[in-house]
Amino acid sequence: MITDIANVRNIGISAHIDSGKTTLTERILYYTKRIRAMHDVKGKDGVGATMDSMELEKERGITIASAATFCQWKGHEINIIDTPGHVDFTIEVERSLRVLDGAILVLCSVGGVQSQSITVDQQMKRYHVPCIAFINKCDRSGADPFRVISQLQSKLGHNAVAMQIPIGLEINFSGVVDLLTMKALYFDGEHGEEVRVEEVPPELEEKARKKREEMLDAISLFSDELTEALLEGGPISEDLILEAVRRGTLARQLTPVFMGSAYKNRGVQPLLDAVSRYLPCPSDVENTALDMDHEEVPVSLSCDPEQPTVAFAFKLEDGAYGQLTYIRVYQGSAARGTTVINARSGKKVKIGRVVRMHADQMEDIDAVNAGYIGALFGIECSSGDTFISPGVNLTMTSMYVPEPVISLAIVPKDNKSQTNLSKALGRFTREDPTFRTHVDQETSETIIEGMGELHLEIYVERMRREYGCEVTTGHPRVAGARETVFIDGIKQGRIPKEFIPAVEKGFRLCLAKGPKMEFPVTGIRVVINDGASHAVDSSDMAFQAAARGAFREAYGRAKPIILEPIMKVVVETPTEFQGAVMGLLNQRRGMIIGAQDEGPQCVVEAQVPLAEMFGYSTVLRSATQGKAQFTMEFAAYRQVPVSIAEKIAEEVAQRKKSAA
Amino acid sequence: MTIREEQIREKLLESLAGKAEGLLEAGRFGAVFAHAGIGKTALMVQLAIRSMLRGKNVLHVSLHDPVQKVALWYEELFQDAARRQGMAGAQRLWESLVPHRFIMTFRVDGFSVPRLAERLEDLAAQGIFRPEMVIIDGFPFEETSLEALADLKKMAGQGGFYGWFTVHTHRYETPEADGIPQRLKPVSSLFDVVLEMTPDKERIRIRSLKGAGLTLEGGSLLLDPSSMLIRAEVAGG
Repeated sequence: MITDIANVRNIGISAHIDSGKTTLTERILYYTKRIRAMHDVKGKDGVGATMDSMELEKERGITIASAATFCQWKGHEINIIDTPGHVDFTIEVERSLRVLDGAILVLCSVGGVQSQSITVDQQMKRYHVPCIAFINKCDRSGADPFRVISQLQSKLGHNAVAMQIPIGLEINFSGVVDLLTMKALYFDGEHGEEVRVEEVPPELEEKARKKREEMLDAISLFSDELTEALLEGGPISEDLILEAVRRGTLARQLTPVFMGSAYKNRGVQPLLDAVSRYLPCPSDVENTALDMDHEEVPVSLSCDPEQPTVAFAFKLEDGAYGQLTYIRVYQGSAARGTTVINARSGKKVKIGRVVRMHADQMEDIDAVNAGYIGALFGIECSSGDTFISPGVNLTMTSMYVPEPVISLAIVPKDNKSQTNLSKALGRFTREDPTFRTHVDQETSETIIEGMGELHLEIYVERMRREYGCEVTTGHPRVAGARETVFIDGIKQGRIPKEFIPAVEKGFRLCLAKGPKMEFPVTGIRVVINDGASHAVDSSDMAFQAAARGAFREAYGRAKPIILEPIMKVVVETPTEFQGAVMGLLNQRRGMIIGAQDEGPQCVVEAQVPLAEMFGYSTVLRSATQGKAQFTMEFAAYRQVPVSIAEKIAEEVAQRKKSAA
Repeated sequence: MTIREEQIREKLLESLAGKAEGLLEAGRFGAVFAHAGIGKTALMVQLAIRSMLRGKNVLHVSLHDPVQKVALWYEELFQDAARRQGMAGAQRLWESLVPHRFIMTFRVDGFSVPRLAERLEDLAAQGIFRPEMVIIDGFPFEETSLEALADLKKMAGQGGFYGWFTVHTHRYETPEADGIPQRLKPVSSLFDVVLEMTPDKERIRIRSLKGAGLTLEGGSLLLDPSSMLIRAEVAGG
C-alpha cells in the first residue's frame, strides 16, 4: 500500500445513463493492468464489463450497485466508485458521492448535458465534490465536444475549459491535442495502450493556439504568478498551468474538460493523468463528523492513521461469503483483529477480514487507513453507519434520504417465496434507505415503496433471482398520506366527552377507505354539531358505527369524485423519435405540455395519469431503440374522466362480488 | 361546464383583448411587430387564451423561451385576469383550458418552416393535436423564403388554422412609407393583417397597418403595461 496520502485518489465516475461510463471504467482498469481483457457492456462475448457485478446489470446494460475498485497509475493509487446513472437509483449516487474526494463527469459528445447529468451535478454540488469532465464518444456521428462544453457552461453553470481539442471527429476521430504541452496524442496498439506523442498537425495549429489562449485566460484567475507570466509574455511553464488548474478545480470554480472515446480506446490515459494531477487527495478535503457528546457539534477529522478511528459504511453487498461492507476510513484505521463500535447501535464490532475490492475479485489486506476505501467481511450493520474507536463518540452526518414516491403491492406466489420474501426485504431495506416496506393492515398485502417504478422493478427482479422469490405485483401508486380536518363543535354535551374519540375514529376509518370506490377520501371537513346518548346502550362501538352511518349518508349526497395522481413526465429523445414519443404519451391519456427542440435531442414534457405509466419504460425503450430516457415526478391529483370512473366502479363491484 | 364556470368564462372573454379577436380566419396570416419588451408575447398569449376559452386549440411556437417560461406566461395572464375579475375558483376552468394548448420550442438556428410543417403534420396524423390558431413568437423573417412561407399558408388553409407571427424590430431600422418594417417586405403579400405596437406615454398603443383593422372608434387598442392586459381606449383616457 502506498503510504503517501498525497498520491491517493478516491474518485467517482458519474454520468447520464448510456454515456459510456462503465466502458470507460473498464478501459481504465485495463490500462492500469487490473484486468487483462476488455469486455463491453452489452458484449457479444457474454462476459460483460467487469464493474457490472450483478447478473441483472449485465443483462440490462445498466449499472445498479456502486462497486468500488482500485487501481494504480504512475505512482498514484486510484479508488474508483462506479456510480449508477439512472435517476431511480439516486440514493446510490448520493451515497457514493459522500465518500468521494473528486469525480469524473462523463458526458456524451452527441447527447451532451441531459437531465440526469443535471441531477448528478446537483448532487456533486451538495457534497462539494470537485470534478473534471470527460466528453466521451467523440467517434460517434454528430459528435461536437465544444457544443457540450457550452452546455456545461449554460446548463450547469460550470466554468468549463477545454484542456484538449479533438483531432478529427466522428469516424475520423484519431486523437487529441493536449493544450498543456501543445503536443498531439495518438493511441496505438491493439487496445490503444501505446500513447504516441507527435507534433500538432499543421491544420490544427491555429485552433490549438487559440484554445490554449482561452484556457490560459480562464485559469489565470487562480494564479497570480501565471497572470504575471502571461503579462510578461514569456514562455509559460507547465507546472504553473498545472497548479492553477488544480487550484481552480479543488475550489470547484473550474471544470477542466478532456475528450476521447473509451470504446475506441482513445483519450483514456490522458484522463488518468488528469485525475492524478487535478483531483484532490484525501487530505486536500476537509471532512467533519458530529460530536454526539456535545450536541452534535461538527468536528474536523484528520487524515491520520494514528488518530482514533472514524469510518463510514456506505455500501452493503451480499456476497458469496456473507455480507460485505464497503467503508471509507476518514480518520485512524480499520485493521484486522481490532475492535470498533457501531456509533448508531453502540455495539462492539470485531473486524475480521479486511479486503480491497476489484469488482468481483478481492485482495486481503491488513488494514484500511485514513483516506482509503476498502471492505469488511461479516459485519452486521446498515448502510450509513459509522464505526468508531472506543472512547470517541463521533458520527458522520446522517445522509439526506429522500421520501419514497411510488408504492407497489406484492404478493408471494407460494410458501417458499413467502419465507424468502422477508429475507430479501430485510436485506434490501438495510442496503437502501429509500426502499421501504410495510404490510397493509386491511388487505394484508406487502407494500414496497421506492423512488420510481424502475427502482421497484429492479428489486422485484432481484427477489426472484437472488432469493428465488416469485411475487405478483399490483399497479404502482403514489406513496404518502394526506390529512383531513375533524372539528368537535358539539354543544351542551349531547355526546359525552369520552365518546368523541370513538366518533372521530369512525370517521377516520371511513376516510381511509371510501364507501364507494374504496379509495382514501380527502378534502373533507367533518364537524360534529349534535347527537344523543343513552346511559346504558351507548358504547365506543355504537358511536363508531353511528359515525360510519352519518358519513355514508353525507358522502353520497356530496357527489364525490375520484381523483387520480398525475405525473409530470419528461422524455428526452433523439429528435427522430419525437413523433413516436408523443404518440405513446398521447395513447396513455397524456396531456402534452410542450416539445422543446434542442438540435439532435428534444425534450417532451407531458402530464400523464400514474395509472397509465405502468410498463412505460419498456414500451419507450422499444419505440426508440433504447435511445430515449424519461423521468417522472408527482404533479397533482386530478379528477378521473367519467368513462374511466365507470370502469373503476365496475371493477370494484366485481371485486366485492367475488369477495362475498 | 357549470353555470358558474360559464359565467367566469364570459367575464374573462370580456376582459381579454376583446376587439383583437376575429381578425383572422383559417388560412390567414397576421403579423405583430414591436421593439423588444413592448408586449408582443403578452398580446399573443391573450389572444391564445381567448381562443382556448372558446374551446379552440392553440399551438404556441417559441424560438426564444423554454417551454416552462411560455407556460408561465399563460398561467400568469390567466390568473391575473381572473383576479381582476374577482374570481376565485377559476383553477378548474384553467385546468380545462390547458389541453387546448400545445407549446413547441425551437432553437432559432434549428428552426425552419419545413421543419415546423413536418411537426404539424405529424401531430395531426397521430391525432395528438390539431391547432386552429398557431402563434410563432420570434419568427426569423430574414431567413425565410417566400415559397416556404407560402407553403405553410397553404397548409394553414387546408388544416384549418390561422397564424400569428411576431416580429422583433430594432430602433435603427427605418420602416417603409406604409410603416411596415423592411424585413417583412419580401413576404408582406402573405400577411392579411399587420399590427404595430408602440409605447404611447404610459400605455402601449396597438395600431393596424394593414388588413381589416381595428374598427374601434378612435382607432386603437391599448395594452396596460402594469397588467399587460389589453383594453379598448376609454374616451378621454
